[in-house]
Amino acid sequence: MNIGYLCTYTPKELIDAAGFTPVRIFAGDDQISLATAYIQSYACSQARGSFERALKGELDVQAVVFTRCCDTLMRLADIWERNTDMKVYNLEFPSRIDEESKDYYFRELQDFVNILKEWGGDVTVDSLRESLKLYWELEEKLKKLFEVKPDYEAAKKVQEMNVRDAIEFVDRRLRKVEKSGVGPKVLITGSVCPFLEVYKLFEEAGLLLKDDICTGTRFFTYNTPLKEIESVEDGLRFLVEKYFNKAPCPTKHFPNDDRFNYILELAKDCDGVVFLLLKFCEPHFYDYPQLKEKLEEMGKKVLLLELEFPIASYEQLRTRIEAFYEVIA
Amino acid sequence: MTLKKLKATDRMKQIMGGYYMMGKQTEVNGWITSGAPVELLYAMDIYPVYPENHGALIGAAKQGPYFSDFAEKRGFSRDLCSYARCDIGCVFAGTSPVGGLPKPDFLFACNNICNTVIKWYQVLSRIFKVPLFILDTPFVRKELKESYIQYVHDQLYEFVDFLEKTTGRELSDSKLKETLIKSIEGVNSYSDVLHMAKNKPSPLTCFDAFLNMAPIVCLRGTDYPIEFYAEMKKELVERVKRGEGAVENEEVRLLWDNIPVWYRLRWFAEFFADRNACLVADTYTNAWTGFISMDKSDIFWSMAETYTFIYLNIGLEHMAEAINRLINYYDVDGVVIHSNRSCKPYSFGQYELQKMIDVPSVVIEADMVDSRVFSEAQVETRLEAFLEMLK
Repeated sequence: MNIGYLCTYTPKELIDAAGFTPVRIFAGDDQISLATAYIQSYACSQARGSFERALKGELDVQAVVFTRCCDTLMRLADIWERNTDMKVYNLEFPSRIDEESKDYYFRELQDFVNILKEWGGDVTVDSLRESLKLYWELEEKLKKLFEVKPDYEAAKKVQEMNVRDAIEFVDRRLRKVEKSGVGPKVLITGSVCPFLEVYKLFEEAGLLLKDDICTGTRFFTYNTPLKEIESVEDGLRFLVEKYFNKAPCPTKHFPNDDRFNYILELAKDCDGVVFLLLKFCEPHFYDYPQLKEKLEEMGKKVLLLELEFPIASYEQLRTRIEAFYEVIA
Repeated sequence: MTLKKLKATDRMKQIMGGYYMMGKQTEVNGWITSGAPVELLYAMDIYPVYPENHGALIGAAKQGPYFSDFAEKRGFSRDLCSYARCDIGCVFAGTSPVGGLPKPDFLFACNNICNTVIKWYQVLSRIFKVPLFILDTPFVRKELKESYIQYVHDQLYEFVDFLEKTTGRELSDSKLKETLIKSIEGVNSYSDVLHMAKNKPSPLTCFDAFLNMAPIVCLRGTDYPIEFYAEMKKELVERVKRGEGAVENEEVRLLWDNIPVWYRLRWFAEFFADRNACLVADTYTNAWTGFISMDKSDIFWSMAETYTFIYLNIGLEHMAEAINRLINYYDVDGVVIHSNRSCKPYSFGQYELQKMIDVPSVVIEADMVDSRVFSEAQVETRLEAFLEMLK
């Protein structure tokens, strides 16, 4: 069985350990039409576009896990459950990330293990140990690949595969990859962007990329070294640490403005920062003005590109990216 | 047609005028979200400031676009919540229709109404450089799990520590009990007022409820709502005795869903009254009517339960159940659903709710404060057709 998910805070390791394949759901290339009867047009096009694909029968997933992140996905869970044949579960990831919410998240993971069992998948200490190791391996390899040259196609593809195939896939890419050339470097920051042409536009404009994108490095940046586990409970405790320390997302509240500090740190060696934001994405748009101000104080040039999926005009984006190149080059 | 005015509304204006005046003189204040457990603040004599109520007030004063513009000029997107935009805009403007809100000593956001408040209050905490406490309430899509209540319960204790540290004051158990009892009495007194709409014809409309809801939101836990709503009820009882409806010739009874369109309150009220339709109730003001339990042995547990299972923090099945209960109780013929661009958790799922509720409904597109997105002709056409169909 394939289990779909939308948010990178979803513990894919548990899904894999239960014998299922976690598959990330992205918006598609077609104009959104069917979904408009189920959710308003002021929902972001990642939510509407993903649901459109479900309604069209394009998704090979039998269940979907909605991990708590934004208000839109919180509501989409019910809409999805009522209008597809898929099983739906909502995993309530805490919105505040600190010591006080760890026990609670641990209990949520325990409940999720029970749900996976209801769905016919057993998480054992051996299966969990293996899945933790495999994901760690995948993440390390993706990191290595991106250090040589960011590969957004690889990052997207591995999110739709079984982790074993994903590792092999990244291995093949690692054998072929060549270091990027020289040029000004930009940090792109935002939620999801599964439209690979967007990254190409930056490269074609002569820009080197670094990213803080949910379908890019936020998918594999965890900062918790692999640990040997003795029990399933051990594994769950490890997952709490792993997901609490992952590259921070603006849907969460961190005690010391960790998210802002993370972006400012990433931006240090970049010549400019591009906010690649999805229209109607509240968590990112609330951060934008104050983050922009801080980046400008650091002397960084900033550009805001507002996207809607599917992307209507690549040429318009190209013009703006080329103009930005002129500003920072 | 002239609308019938309740005398209570004048009294409400006095009370709220006093509330805003008080804010300018208090020693310690915290900015708080509308669904947060304010009882803890009142029990420690901390003045609660309600940016959402402030947003509503700006909307009703038809100044939404004006104040929102101050935030938009600083880069805050027009697609963000209009309460947040106006509130942040007022901070930048340095004023508001009530002369601005007092600078906070701390911020307290509870995400049982939306996750927007987390982001909004983060913005405020960076502007004012004051501590922010987030009370994180898990979303109850299906079952209210014990682990959810435990999590919220523990955070309430942590919040008390936070308050004691931030303000240097101490919470006394007896004062908290006293405040909670007042809160429950206030909620009951308020519920009694809303329940008067069960009468036929109904002595009040949801517009009366909207206009007079500020005391239960902002002053819950004090004596004001208890007395104010008791007084308001008397006035309504008199109307019932006289057989007088809020709307002349009440023919159709309706329910309103979502936050009101503040800048068009009067327009809507007249529109429906002119067509002999009475909006007898709404899902918004009714959100403040329930304390699900009051177990005196563990009041923190009771509070955790109550504040987690709040109308906007529950799944569609629970919401449909609540709406159907209102439909049944108030004998409603149809539902007017406000699809509110500013409020995603309130609006997404409305198309599903239409299929789940027991009476016909209509969806109108608008925004609670930002009048720039309101299309009178479109709304009028939809409502006309709906009323025609119901009659």
